[in-house]
Amino acid sequence: MMAPFFKYGLFGDEFSLIVAFVTGVGMGFFLERAGFGNARLLAAQFYFRDLRVLKVMFTAIVTAMVGLYVLGGFGLMDLSLIYLTPTFLAPQIVGGIILGIGFIIGGYCPGTSCVSAVTGRIDGMVYVAGMIGGLLGFAEVYPSIERFARSTGMGKITLPQLFDVPYGLLVFAVVLMALGAFVAAEWAEKKLGGKVPAAGSLLEPTLRVTPVRAFAVSLVALGAFAAIGGSPYRSPVGKVDVRELALEAGTKTDHVSAPDLADWIIEGRNDFILVDVREAKDFAEYHIPGAINVPLASLSGDFADRNERIVFYSDGGIHAAQAWLLLRSLGYRGVYLLFGGLEEWKDSVLFPTAPAAAASASEQIAFAKRAAVSKYFGGAVQGASASPGPAVPTAPKLTPAVPTDAPASPPPAAAKKKKKEGC
Amino acid sequence: MIESTIHRHNAGIDPAMHLWGWEIPTYLFLGGLVAGLMIIAGVRLVAMRPRERQALVCCTIGPLVGLALLSLGMLALFLDLEHKSHVWRLYLTFRPTSPMSWGSWILLLVYPALAANAIAHLPEAIPALAKRIPVLVTWSDFILGRSRLVLAIGFVNIVLGISLGIYTGILLSTMGARPLWSSAVLGPLFLFSGLSTAAALLHGILVLTQPAGERPGFADFLLSALARLSESRPLDHKVAPTLAAADNSFLTIELALLGLLLVGHLTSTQVHRQAAALLLTGPYAAVFWVFVVGLGILVPLTLQTLELGHRIRHTLAPALLVLGGGFALRVILVAAGQASHWASAAN
Repeated sequence: MMAPFFKYGLFGDEFSLIVAFVTGVGMGFFLERAGFGNARLLAAQFYFRDLRVLKVMFTAIVTAMVGLYVLGGFGLMDLSLIYLTPTFLAPQIVGGIILGIGFIIGGYCPGTSCVSAVTGRIDGMVYVAGMIGGLLGFAEVYPSIERFARSTGMGKITLPQLFDVPYGLLVFAVVLMALGAFVAAEWAEKKLGGKVPAAGSLLEPTLRVTPVRAFAVSLVALGAFAAIGGSPYRSPVGKVDVRELALEAGTKTDHVSAPDLADWIIEGRNDFILVDVREAKDFAEYHIPGAINVPLASLSGDFADRNERIVFYSDGGIHAAQAWLLLRSLGYRGVYLLFGGLEEWKDSVLFPTAPAAAASASEQIAFAKRAAVSKYFGGAVQGASASPGPAVPTAPKLTPAVPTDAPASPPPAAAKKKKKEGC
Repeated sequence: MIESTIHRHNAGIDPAMHLWGWEIPTYLFLGGLVAGLMIIAGVRLVAMRPRERQALVCCTIGPLVGLALLSLGMLALFLDLEHKSHVWRLYLTFRPTSPMSWGSWILLLVYPALAANAIAHLPEAIPALAKRIPVLVTWSDFILGRSRLVLAIGFVNIVLGISLGIYTGILLSTMGARPLWSSAVLGPLFLFSGLSTAAALLHGILVLTQPAGERPGFADFLLSALARLSESRPLDHKVAPTLAAADNSFLTIELALLGLLLVGHLTSTQVHRQAAALLLTGPYAAVFWVFVVGLGILVPLTLQTLELGHRIRHTLAPALLVLGGGFALRVILVAAGQASHWASAAN
C-alpha cells in the first residue's frame, strides 16, 4: 500500500469527503484545545507575549516534514504526488500582507476563525461572514486583477529545488530552526509577557531529561539522519518482486489487446497514457493516435506519476515489455503493454482480414465492427470478400497518424484526467 | 416500439417518481419530532406524580411546541399535494391497507391529544397566559382532578406518538418501487430518530431557559434579539441529564437501526444492494456519513456523554446537531430513495 491513498485510487471522491470530515473534526478539536478559538490569545503573539501559535504551527510543520521524509524514505509515500500550490511570488506576498493585517486586526486566521465561530463566539462568526464576503468580492474583481495574480509564477517549487540543496539537509536545517524558534519564543514570552516557562521546558536551567527535551533530541536525531539519508524522492534505482511480476507476466494480466486499445481510443477514454517507446524517427512516421513518444533509451519515470495507467507499445513486443519491467521496478503499478505491438495493431485493427464467405453470422457481425474501427483509424480491410473500398493487395503503406476522414469525434489526446486536488 | 420500450427512449415508459422536493422530508422530520414530543410528554403524565410534573416546564412547552411544529409539517404536506382542494376526501373513508389513510386519521387524532396534554399543566407553566384566559385553569383543573383521565391522556399520547413515528417510516417503506425504502426497519428507525430529536429539542429548550449567567453566550445573543420569551429558570439538574441520557439511548438505537437497514439491504437482492450502495459508496455516501452519522449521531453522542459525566457544561450544541442530523436523515433517505430504482439492476 502506497500513500497518498487517494491518488493511488484506494478510495474515491465520496470516501475522500468522509475522510476530510474526520480529519477536519480532529483538526478543529485540537485547534480549539490549543486555545486557538480565542482572538486575544492569537493576537498576543504579535506582541511576543504569548507565542503558542508559533510553537504549535512550527511543531506541526516539523512533525509533518519529518514524517513525510521518513515515509518517503521507506517507500511508503510518493512525495511527488503530494499536492503543492504553485508559487506566484509577488501576488502571494501581497496576499500574505493582507492576511497578516487581518490577523492582527481581527485576531484570527481563516482556520481559527472557523474554530471560534463554531464555539459560539460572535466575533468569530462575524469574521467568517467577512471571509465569505471577501471570497465573493475576490471572485468578482478577479478578471481585472488576473494579470497580477498570475505574475511572477515559479511553478510548483520546493525549497530544496530553489536553493539546490539536498532535501535531507533542508529537513535538518528546518528542525534546528524550529528548535531555535521554540527557545526564542519562550525567552520572549518570559521577557515581554512575564510568563514563567513551564517546568521541563527547553529554557529551564537543569539537565533533567523531560518529555519536551526527549522530543527535541529525537527530532534533531531524525533531522541528522535525514541530512545524511539522501532524497526521499524517486531515484532511478528500482526494485522488483520477482514472484509478483512473474505471476502477472505469466497470466497476461499486463496485456492490452489491440482491439481493446482501439475501443478505448474510440470511446475517448482519458484515464491512461499511451506511450510509444520507439525512436523519434519511427514515431514521426506513424504512431497510434494519442500516443506520446518516450524512446526506450531515455526512459525514466519523469513523464508520468506513479498512479497513472500507462500502456507501452513498440514494433513487436520486446521493447515495450522491457519498458514495462523498468517502470514496474520503479514502483509504477498500472503499467501495461500492447500485446503484439504495432504489428498486431496493424493486423487486427488497421488492416483486419475478412473472414471466409462461409463464416458464421456472428463472425460476420464481428468483422463489420472491426471494419468500422479500421476505417476510423484510417486503415482498410484485407481479403476477397472485403467491403467496398480500395482493396490493397499487398502489405499496405501506413496512412498518416491522424486520419483525415475520421468521424466527428477526433481521437482524444491521452491526457490524464487529473484528480481534484487542493491544499 | 422496441426502441422506446427496451432502450427507454421515451421518458414516459418509466413512471417519474422523483417528485418529492423539500416538503416531504420537512413533514417527515417534523412529524417524527412531534411523535417524539408526544411520547415523552405522555410518559411524563403516566409515570410521574402531579407534584413532580409541575417542575417539568419543558414538558409542557414540549406539547405546545409540538402543536405548532405539527401544523407547520401539515402545511408542508398540504403544499406537496397535487390536488389541494381534494384533501377533505381523505376523511370520508378509512382504508386499513393504505398508509396515507392511516396517516391522515392519526394526524387528526394527534391534535386533541397533544392539546389535552399541554393544557394539563399549562397554568403553572405560563401563568401570564392563564391570567389572560381563565378558562385554561378550569380545563386544567378538570383534567388534573381526574387521575384516570390523566392516565388516559398519557397513554393516548404514547400510543398515538408511536403510531405517528412509525407511520412516517412506513409511508416510505410501502413503496416497493423504491428499493432503498422497502425495509420494515424504516418505521422504527424514524420513530427513534424522532424520539432523539424530541429529547434534543427539550434539552435545548432547557438550556435556553437557564438564568442569564449560565446560558452559553451565543444563546444570550439569540435571546436578546427575541426579547423576553421566557423567564429564566435554573437548569433543572434532574431533567437535563435525564433528557441527555434518553437522547443518548435513542441515538444509539437509531445508529443500530441504520446498521440493520443497511445490512438488510446488503444481504438482499442485487437491486437492494445497489440501493444500499447509494449510501455506502455512491453519490449520497459523503452527505450520509458526515451529516447523519457523524454530525447527527456520533458527535452529539460524544458531547452528551461528556455532559453526563460532568466533564463539560450542558450546551445547545448537541441539540442543534441532533435536530440537524434528524432532518438530514429524512432529506437524504427521501432523495436517495427516489434515486434507487429497479431498472438500475437491469442496465
